[in-house]
Amino acid sequence: MDFVSTGGGSLVDNIFLLFNAYDWWVYYSKKEEKNLAKKEREEKMYDQAFEEILFSLDETPIYADSGGDQHNDGRDTNEFGADFETLQGLECLNMEQAKNLLNEHVDQLSSKLHISPSLAKLFLHLNEWNVSAIVTAYSKHTNAFLVDNRVKLAATAALGASAIPSAAACTDILPLSPSSSTSKSSTNASSPISCPVCTHPLPGDHFRSLTCGHSFCQYCWARHFEVQINQGITLDISCMASQCNILVPEALILTLLRPSLHEKYEAFAFRDFVSTHPSLRFCPGPNCSVVMRARESKPKRATCNACGTSFCFQCGIEYHAPTDCVVIKKWLTKCADDSETANYISAHTKDCPKCHICIEKNGGCNHMQCYHCKHEFCWMCLGDWKQHGSEYYECSRYKENPNIGRESAHAQAREALKKYLHYYERWENHAKSLKLESALVDKIKSRIHSKVMTSSGTWIDWQYLIEASTLLAKCRYTLQYTYPYAYYMQSSVSHYYTVISHIIPTGTWIDWQYLIEASTLLAKCRYTLQYTYPYAYYMQSSVSHYYTVISHIIQQYTYPYAYYMESSVSHSRKELFEYQQAQLEAEIENLSWKVERAETTDRGDLENQMDIAEKRRITLLKDFHLSSFSNPTKLDIPPQGGTTVPISTKDSSTASIQSEGEGVRSASMAPLSS
Amino acid sequence: MANIAAQRIKREFKEVIKSEEVAKCAIKLELIDDNYSELKGEIAGPPDTPYEGGNFVLEIKVPETYPFNPPKVKFLTKIWHPNISSVTGAICLDILKDQWAAAMTLRTVLLSLQALMAAAEPDDPQDAVVAKQYKENPEMFNSTARHWTNVYAGGPNKNPDFDQKIQRLTDMGVMSHDARVALSTYNWELERATEAIFT
Ligand SMILES: [Zn+2]
Ligand SMILES: [Zn+2]
Ligand SMILES: [Zn+2]
Ligand SMILES: [Zn+2]
Ligand SMILES: [Zn+2]
Ligand SMILES: [Zn+2]
Repeated sequence: MDFVSTGGGSLVDNIFLLFNAYDWWVYYSKKEEKNLAKKEREEKMYDQAFEEILFSLDETPIYADSGGDQHNDGRDTNEFGADFETLQGLECLNMEQAKNLLNEHVDQLSSKLHISPSLAKLFLHLNEWNVSAIVTAYSKHTNAFLVDNRVKLAATAALGASAIPSAAACTDILPLSPSSSTSKSSTNASSPISCPVCTHPLPGDHFRSLTCGHSFCQYCWARHFEVQINQGITLDISCMASQCNILVPEALILTLLRPSLHEKYEAFAFRDFVSTHPSLRFCPGPNCSVVMRARESKPKRATCNACGTSFCFQCGIEYHAPTDCVVIKKWLTKCADDSETANYISAHTKDCPKCHICIEKNGGCNHMQCYHCKHEFCWMCLGDWKQHGSEYYECSRYKENPNIGRESAHAQAREALKKYLHYYERWENHAKSLKLESALVDKIKSRIHSKVMTSSGTWIDWQYLIEASTLLAKCRYTLQYTYPYAYYMQSSVSHYYTVISHIIPTGTWIDWQYLIEASTLLAKCRYTLQYTYPYAYYMQSSVSHYYTVISHIIQQYTYPYAYYMESSVSHSRKELFEYQQAQLEAEIENLSWKVERAETTDRGDLENQMDIAEKRRITLLKDFHLSSFSNPTKLDIPPQGGTTVPISTKDSSTASIQSEGEGVRSASMAPLSS
Repeated sequence: MANIAAQRIKREFKEVIKSEEVAKCAIKLELIDDNYSELKGEIAGPPDTPYEGGNFVLEIKVPETYPFNPPKVKFLTKIWHPNISSVTGAICLDILKDQWAAAMTLRTVLLSLQALMAAAEPDDPQDAVVAKQYKENPEMFNSTARHWTNVYAGGPNKNPDFDQKIQRLTDMGVMSHDARVALSTYNWELERATEAIFT
């Protein structure tokens, strides 16, 4: 997939390929545009269907929009309102407060199980700080729990098993006392024994062991802790014996460690504790020590009160809806790896397609107008702007070559690169536009200033211009983050061919054509089914009907077919997503165009455009924020008033849209196939 | 701490010298300097492997924090093995990294390396080229590893076909080791190896 990085080919080869791919892409885009008129006819009905679906979605109570005209009403009143992207119930804690919070958990667990705080910390750290889950697991299968949490060796492996007290008195198995009293009857306090690590002969009371019974001198333990802590390891320090994974509890570490290292240990341990606590995050802002606390971990925007840094609470990098955390990480890594390639292609200048004069892109808008010949064209595809139509923005959608599965590896690599560049160019372009448009805000402000100075209106009169450019930035930000998501969305067409060609040993493609037909049929059923959910939500009886129908279909096919079916669903999902993306793309271009020419644009017209753009954006984000992968991890923290938003049954079907869907497939299949 | 390191190495050295593996000539340990910070190890290629009959020399560097950190070990003898770099001799073995425990010794390390030579782990490769050949063409891997053992570790099995191909390249002015690496990489296909060298 990583064509550039894996290829053994020379640089010259790669560059040649790049040119090839790029030319091909330009050619393809232009050809697409010529076919547009014809296509438009064909797709009209299809689009209408989509429009109806979107319309019906808009009408569901999840998103009860009050209509396009009064743009501020309605948004604040519904629960999926303007602030749905911000994680609610966030608290900014200083270090002291965060430590107190952790200690509350420790005290709670240690008093419930009658274990030492040191052991309680270890259990909490290893079990996501879920007190009730620990208590349940501990009381059900104490021994297994101790083995799983690396406190005790599995029975067969234990040395001197008889020396280990029963787990009920767990406090006592802590290796706080000299080993002479807990293990090895042969160890006599008076006769010196040799330490297996340092080889020094020492009296028995200088030795310590964990529950595993491996005994070492206290000086070696101390040195072991020191070396580990200097490498940043705190909670994962294990026994020094070969192949022994028993963990050292904090109490022993603090007893034996040099006092000068205690502070360092505590600091590292605190960092590790926060990192395993599901509702706590360090603020990623530079030199900020704030710990953020949320009631549930969701990929929503969190903002630090102290330093103002904004980030995705779930993964700690910048907010990235509608792309999910795993995918955005993958994408950013990929972009870093392939940066040279992509930069090479996405240069800042292009030639006007009509008069061929060199044009530099100096505004955020893709709707370009040549300063020389006044030709209006699209920066991305260089096509005539009028051909783009007012709302259907064809060039944001990447067309995969449907025959790719049958082509050579070389062609596949080229196709992969082409696909990546398609998404990368758009991603990068929006990032650039965002920067340029933030400069525009300053320009608008100074323009307003001079207008106010010359008494043409007050600041309040011109405030809407600033609002418009703020909204534009918000929309463009979302749009930028749709591209990594779209890039990793599986397209079923090529998928069918790859999968079928892998599992089908004999026969011709025609023999197996019915598989594709079956998948297509299933796709249709699933598609319909999926969009019946908002409706079916209020008509319970019909749901069971659909389940019956679909499970009949499934029963006719065996296991591999389930695989295609999922990809079919993601195929239709992909189409819908691309449609929504294209819509937002188009509206943002309109908005950008109008904001740049704000003074000559009618205010009502601009506000209307703002409203439409925001509506498109919310439609696109709706699935992300309601789908099950953003499902909060339920935390073991008492709710502090307020209720959680119920997650509708629709989630099980939308789960399949996330990233590459490998693990998710079974999850969304479960209710149907079982 | 360095004192403990020296103390330990001193004792481990004695332990290895007296061990039955040394008696059987399976492993060997030699001191390089007086302060016990560097040693030379030797492993006999395990029987029924392409390394049989070869003798493999290791560089062992003892860190100041030994035995709380693992020794730094690499092959000085060139070897064709998925978990050992054919270029640098660097080794990919868990006990030399995070699975090290202070109670382990140099004897444990040498015996573990011998075990690694007998049973490679191609899914955790150090040398991707070798690992690929190991998985896709085990026959080719075996004869290549046997050839390297013969040339670099004093193994008994000559491969006239391979030697001839290397000769063809050295006649063109290529260094024999470079020729061997290129041919080994391209499954001893002379044309592809030549192409790789001259482009
Ligand atoms: Zn000791
Ligand atoms: Zn142990
Ligand atoms: Zn902060
Ligand atoms: Zn995230
Ligand atoms: Zn022009
Ligand atoms: Zn375009």
